[in-house]
Amino acid sequence: MNNSKFLTMTASPHVKGPIKTKNIMLDVIIALMLPLIWSVYVFGFRALTITAVSVVSCVLFEYIYRKLMKKSNTISDLSAIVTGILLAFCLPVTVPLWIPIVGAFFAIVIVKQLYGGLGKNVVNPALAARVFLFVAYPSQVSSYNSIDSAKLSPIAMNVDVTAGSTPLAKLKEGQLPESGVTDALIGNIPGCIGEISAALVILGGIFLIARKVISWHIPVTYIATVAIISFIFPAGNISNLDYMLHQLFSGGLMLAAFFMATDYVTSPVTKKGRIIYGIGCGLITVFIRFFGGYPEGVSFAVLIMNLFVWYLDKNTKPKVFGGAKK
Amino acid sequence: MLKTFKGGLHVPDNKNTKGCPITDMPSPAKVYIPMQQHIGAPAQPLVAKGDYVKKGQLIGNFENGLSCPIHASVSGTVADIEMRNSYTGYGKTAHIVIENDFTDTLDESIKPYGGDIFSESSEKIIEIVHDAGICGQGGASFPTYAKIQSAIGKATEIIVNCAECEPYITENHRLMLEQPEMIIGGARILMHATGTKHMTIAIENNKMDAAKVMKEKASEFANIEVKILKTKYPQGDERQLMKVIKNVELPAGKLPADVGCVIFNAETCVSVYKAVYCGMPLIDTVLTVDGDAINEPKNLRAPVGTTVSDIIEFCGGAKDNLAKVVSGGPMMGQAQWDTNAVVMKNTSAFLFLSDKTQSNNEGDCIHCGKCVGVCPMHLMPNYLAAFSKKDDKAMAEEFGILSCVECGSCTYICPGNVPIVQYIRTTKGAILAEKRKAAAKTKESEAKK
Repeated sequence: MNNSKFLTMTASPHVKGPIKTKNIMLDVIIALMLPLIWSVYVFGFRALTITAVSVVSCVLFEYIYRKLMKKSNTISDLSAIVTGILLAFCLPVTVPLWIPIVGAFFAIVIVKQLYGGLGKNVVNPALAARVFLFVAYPSQVSSYNSIDSAKLSPIAMNVDVTAGSTPLAKLKEGQLPESGVTDALIGNIPGCIGEISAALVILGGIFLIARKVISWHIPVTYIATVAIISFIFPAGNISNLDYMLHQLFSGGLMLAAFFMATDYVTSPVTKKGRIIYGIGCGLITVFIRFFGGYPEGVSFAVLIMNLFVWYLDKNTKPKVFGGAKK
Repeated sequence: MLKTFKGGLHVPDNKNTKGCPITDMPSPAKVYIPMQQHIGAPAQPLVAKGDYVKKGQLIGNFENGLSCPIHASVSGTVADIEMRNSYTGYGKTAHIVIENDFTDTLDESIKPYGGDIFSESSEKIIEIVHDAGICGQGGASFPTYAKIQSAIGKATEIIVNCAECEPYITENHRLMLEQPEMIIGGARILMHATGTKHMTIAIENNKMDAAKVMKEKASEFANIEVKILKTKYPQGDERQLMKVIKNVELPAGKLPADVGCVIFNAETCVSVYKAVYCGMPLIDTVLTVDGDAINEPKNLRAPVGTTVSDIIEFCGGAKDNLAKVVSGGPMMGQAQWDTNAVVMKNTSAFLFLSDKTQSNNEGDCIHCGKCVGVCPMHLMPNYLAAFSKKDDKAMAEEFGILSCVECGSCTYICPGNVPIVQYIRTTKGAILAEKRKAAAKTKESEAKK
C-alpha cells in the first residue's frame, strides 16, 4: 500500500438509503396500471394508444429539450413517464391523437423544463396541461363517448363519437345519473381514461400509502372535505348519501386526491401543511362543482392549491427541537 | 413498546464485527501523536527531537484554558515533530513522532491512586481525570474534566451512553461484553465526582446480549438502571438520549447539565476506571475496523498515534478496490486524505469502503419531504439546502439552520441524492463566522470607548 495514494474525500454520510427518485416513480407507475388495464377493457385499445402517445411524447420532449439546452439527460428518473400517464388519464378516450402530443409539450416543456426541470415546477405539469387543453380545445377534450358504443379505432387520428354525458354533468343539473354508485365505483361510466374506476384508483392509492410513497394526509383530508360538504348540501331531490357518493366516485376526485394532489413537487412537506392543503383542494373542488361553470373542479382546485405550497410550508414549520438557536 | 424520539430513521446497522473480541494490536514501529485530539486549545509539545520518552509520559500540555494533556503511547525516541493533515481535513496539526524501542518502559508517574476513591473530593477526581488526558471517546472529544466541572451542583442524573447508533461500530458492544465492570466502575467514579444521584445505562435493543451482562453487573448497585432503547439513528445523540430517558428537550444553546443530566460515553468510563485503578493515562483506544475493502474486519485496541497503514497491515491488508477510509461511523465519520491518518483518543472506527459505497452524483430535490420526516431536530432540511444553494443566509437562519446537528439522516434518506447536510454545514459555518466577526467588531468598538 502506497502511503502517498490519495483517497476519495467526500462529506458524510458515507452510506445512502436504497430509495431513489426512480424507485418512487416506478411505484407510481405500477399503481396506475390497474386503472389503465380497466380502461382498455372498457374503451378498447384506443385508451392504450392515447396513453402511449402521451408517455412517448413526454419522454421525447424532455429528452430533446434537455439535449438542446445542453443539460443532463433526466429521462431515466421516470418522472416524464408518470406525467405522460397522468396526462392521458385525464383525457377522454375520444380525443384526436394529436391532443396528447400538444398536452405533453405544454406539460414537459412549458410547465416543467422552463422552470428548471424536475422539482422546480410550481404547478403539476399533467394538470396544467389538462386545463390548457380544456380551455384551448374544448370541443375535442370534452366529448365523452357512452360506454356501450362500439369500441373505437385504436389508431385513427379522429373518431366519431356518440356523445354521452358524464355523471357529474348530470349531477350539476340536479339529476341523478343513470349509472348507479356501484357503476361509478367499478368504472362502468363515461369519463376520462384513468378516472372511470374509482375503486381501482383507490387501490392504487392504498398501494402508494402502503409503500410509503405518499402519506395519508392529503388524500384523506381532500376526500373527506368533499364528502362532508356534498353530504350536507345535496342538489335537486337527490338524497344526501346518493349525492355524496356520486360526487366522490364519478369524477376525477380519486385520481386527483391520490395521484395529482400528492405530487411531491407541488404539495407541502409538513403534515400540518398537507392537511390544510387537502382541505383547500376539497373546498375549491366543491365550490367549482357547485357554483362554477364546469361540472368538474378537481384540476383547478389542485392547481390553485399548488400555488399555496410555499406559503403553507413556511407557515407550518415544525417546532424546532429545543427551540430555535440564535 | 420501547420509547423513542420523533424523527430519525433505521439505517442497516451492519454490526458485522459484534462477534469479534477486542484484540490488542502490537504497538507499531512508529507512532504519530497529534497535539489536537480534543475540543479546546491544542496541546504544546513538551519534548523535542531526540528526547527519550517513556510509555505514558506527558508529552503535550496546555495550561491556560480548555485543553487536554497528551501522553506517549509507546516508549522510544522522539524522531521528529511533524506538521501533518489534521483529522478533519482542515489545516495541519503538530504530531510528535516517536520511534518505538519496543521495551514498553513505563513512566514513573504511572501508579494506581490506591486510596478509597469514593471518599475523595470531586476536585481530586477531576485532577486525576485531567492528568490522565481523558476526553469524550464517543465523538465530540470534549475534555472530561471540564464536563465533570460543568455538572457539579447541576446534574442529578448520569447517563452512560452505550447506544452506539452508528452502523458498523461495535466497540462499545464489545466493551460491554468484555469489560462491563470497568464501564460501571468508571461510571460510578464519575457519578461520585459529579454528585449525581441516579445512573442510567442506555443501550439500543440490537445489543441485548450486552444489555443482559450490564444488567447483571448493575444489579450489584443501587441507583443504577439499564434502559433498553429502540434501535434508531441518531439515538446516541445526547439530545435524543435525554428526550427518551428523561423526557426533556435540551433547549438550544444549553448544556445537558442545565437540564440536570451529564452524559459519558462507555469507553470514557473505562478510561476513567483505568486512570484511577491502574494510573494509566489515555494512550490507547478500542476501535472497530470494518468495511467491504478490508480483508479481516476486527475490533482492536490500538495505541494513540497508530497509522491507518499499520492497521491495514494488522488486518490482513486492504482490497484493491479501496477508495475511501472513514474515521468514525458511516453517518458522521470523516473521510481521510490518505492512510497516514492516525488513531486518536476518540477514534471509534476506521471503515474501509470501496467505490460501490460512495455516490456523489447530485440529483434534484423533488420536495418529497422525507428529510423533514427524519430530521431529529425537526427542521426542514430540503429548504435549508435550497437556501444554502442560493446563499440566502437570512432565510436559512429563519428556518433554524443553526440547530442542525449534522447527523446526516436527511442526506441518507434523500431519493434525489442531494448532499443536503453538506450544503447546511457550509452555510452554517459561514453564518457562524459572520457572527464571530460581528461580535469581535462590537467588542473592539466597545474597547475603544
